Amino acid sequence: MKSYLTLLTFFVHILYLIGQETPTPPEGMVYVPAGEFIMGSTYGDPDERPQQIASTKAYFIDQYEVSNTEFAKFDPTFKFPPEKKNNAAVVTWSMANAYAKWAGKRLPTEKEWEKAARGIDGRVFPWGDTYDNTYVVWDQKETRGTSIAKPASPYGCYDMAGSVWEWTSDWYKPYPGNEVPMEQYGETYKVMRGGSNFNNHSFIRTSQRYYVLPEKIHVYPVGIRCVKDID
Amino acid sequence: MFKYSLLPLVSVFIFINHGLLAQKVNEFPKKTDPLYKKVEMFDRLMLGNHWNEGAIMQHVIFPPAGLERPIIGSQADCLDPTSEMLAAYSHKYAITGDPKDRKIANDIFEAVLKLEKVTGVEGLVARSFNRTNEPLWHEEVFWYHEWHQSSSMPGYRWLGDLSADKFTSIFYGVGTFWELCADDEYKKKAAGLLDRFIGRVVDNNFKLTDLDGKMTLWGNFCPNLPHQELNSLEMLAALKVTHHITGKERYNAAYHMLIDRYHYDDHQINSKIIFPKEWRNVGDDYHAARSLYMIMRLETDPNLLNKYRMNLNRHWYDWKDLEFTWESNIWFLMVYKVLTGEDIFTEEKKQGIKDMWGFERNTREFKIPQKDGSFKLVRSEEEQTAAAMIRNYWFGRYYGIIDEKW
Repeated sequence: MKSYLTLLTFFVHILYLIGQETPTPPEGMVYVPAGEFIMGSTYGDPDERPQQIASTKAYFIDQYEVSNTEFAKFDPTFKFPPEKKNNAAVVTWSMANAYAKWAGKRLPTEKEWEKAARGIDGRVFPWGDTYDNTYVVWDQKETRGTSIAKPASPYGCYDMAGSVWEWTSDWYKPYPGNEVPMEQYGETYKVMRGGSNFNNHSFIRTSQRYYVLPEKIHVYPVGIRCVKDID
Repeated sequence: MFKYSLLPLVSVFIFINHGLLAQKVNEFPKKTDPLYKKVEMFDRLMLGNHWNEGAIMQHVIFPPAGLERPIIGSQADCLDPTSEMLAAYSHKYAITGDPKDRKIANDIFEAVLKLEKVTGVEGLVARSFNRTNEPLWHEEVFWYHEWHQSSSMPGYRWLGDLSADKFTSIFYGVGTFWELCADDEYKKKAAGLLDRFIGRVVDNNFKLTDLDGKMTLWGNFCPNLPHQELNSLEMLAALKVTHHITGKERYNAAYHMLIDRYHYDDHQINSKIIFPKEWRNVGDDYHAARSLYMIMRLETDPNLLNKYRMNLNRHWYDWKDLEFTWESNIWFLMVYKVLTGEDIFTEEKKQGIKDMWGFERNTREFKIPQKDGSFKLVRSEEEQTAAAMIRNYWFGRYYGIIDEKW
């Protein structure tokens, strides 16, 4: 009994210490600690390879995608149907970048986005390895926060699988060590992540990469999830 | 003063003249016409106005927003009406034996071959093509921007990012053509096309990959990636048809590998999402109906047939109460009757078949992007497709569901 209590005291102490070191995130954001994680995949498109151990500094990231209402606070000329005030804003890369700056934040790098979505263990989806229709936004008229079940990513983000694609700050380039050539690599396309509610299940995997012209998104629904550095 | 007052008249004349030139066929049936007459007239409209070098346009915009030739519109789903017309003329030829009907089917099939040729990659099939050197305005606003200038067919542009439903259109349309209409020469061509097309998907671990080497947005049949139950059914049906037509063992081996190792036969049973009710999707049902129609007539293993029947039963749960709001869902019932032999056509449902309709010609404003980034509003006439209605008719005639006097 005594040994159990000692163990319990030890864990409470550790948890207390961890709790002390975790900065309090700004409202609507969650904390992602510094450290390594599994990035990329061995089974997806060639541009997801090689699977690697990557690392990031600690940062805060938005729990949800930026809504139409939130974006309109930055740009009052931004128009959207009244019934879609809570839907994710769909914008070009420069609009997303400008919003992030205005909010005192920035767009995530691919590394930051992927770590926030899958944690450190290389899982396929934010909630684990198994797909479930109720975990994603299924109705194409809706986006953020409207899935039946609401599983969060390991750090507490929602809708990182489906809803709308999300901009990253990175150009579409090969991962170090990737030897499969693609003419799209370079500084023409930006990377968007997370898939939308209008593509197959595989596109909402945490390691899936997709490229799009930053200012010509056509009908791709691409939205915003910002990060914030920790001073 | 005189010069300017004439301008509106001149504009009207030009508009009408454009219309006459572009609208090759302008005669529409009446709603009260017998079914055979409605089909005959919509068939003329489709072949006259929607014919894009054998491929069938799902949507046509007439001048001034559209062009004289090729006429343009949304093109992402062109393989659906193309395969429907290919199947329609295959069933029709099986009834009439008329060489003119076979010639039309052959020409449509040649367009499917052209959809492969235009990409310049063996086995990679385009969604659609246009004979033009310059990007057309609708490329910017309809569907994803996946248009390419053809290097293998100079003077053509083609739309990529093929999806699982167009994959289904190909094995359904080409498979039906092979079965009912193609002569020996065309049987070889049809087998060759499916061998290259399905073979490329198999070689890429059951993924539809695009020109860039990435999987297309809706091209996932891969056993190592999460995919819809419907896609498991579509893949099994494609492999069954391709094995039947080519006789190549590799397709039979792939079929059994997906069943034995990855349990696609169990996975496909739930192709139909029944609950929540608002998730029921008649568009997906159409792809399931085409796949079940093809696979259940070729499969002889009673255990597998039972599993496909379970899939069909889940669809029937919804289809039995369907209202005929869309020509393709009338076809679901015909497929169900053909596959099960059950007499499910009540007088009300027969009337629904007799009332089948194609489309109205509408006028609307199109927002046409300009080079300076602005948009210009242009009012034009447009037509949707009647291909499903025409296919339903000849399918129903072929299987004795529709009386020729209707």
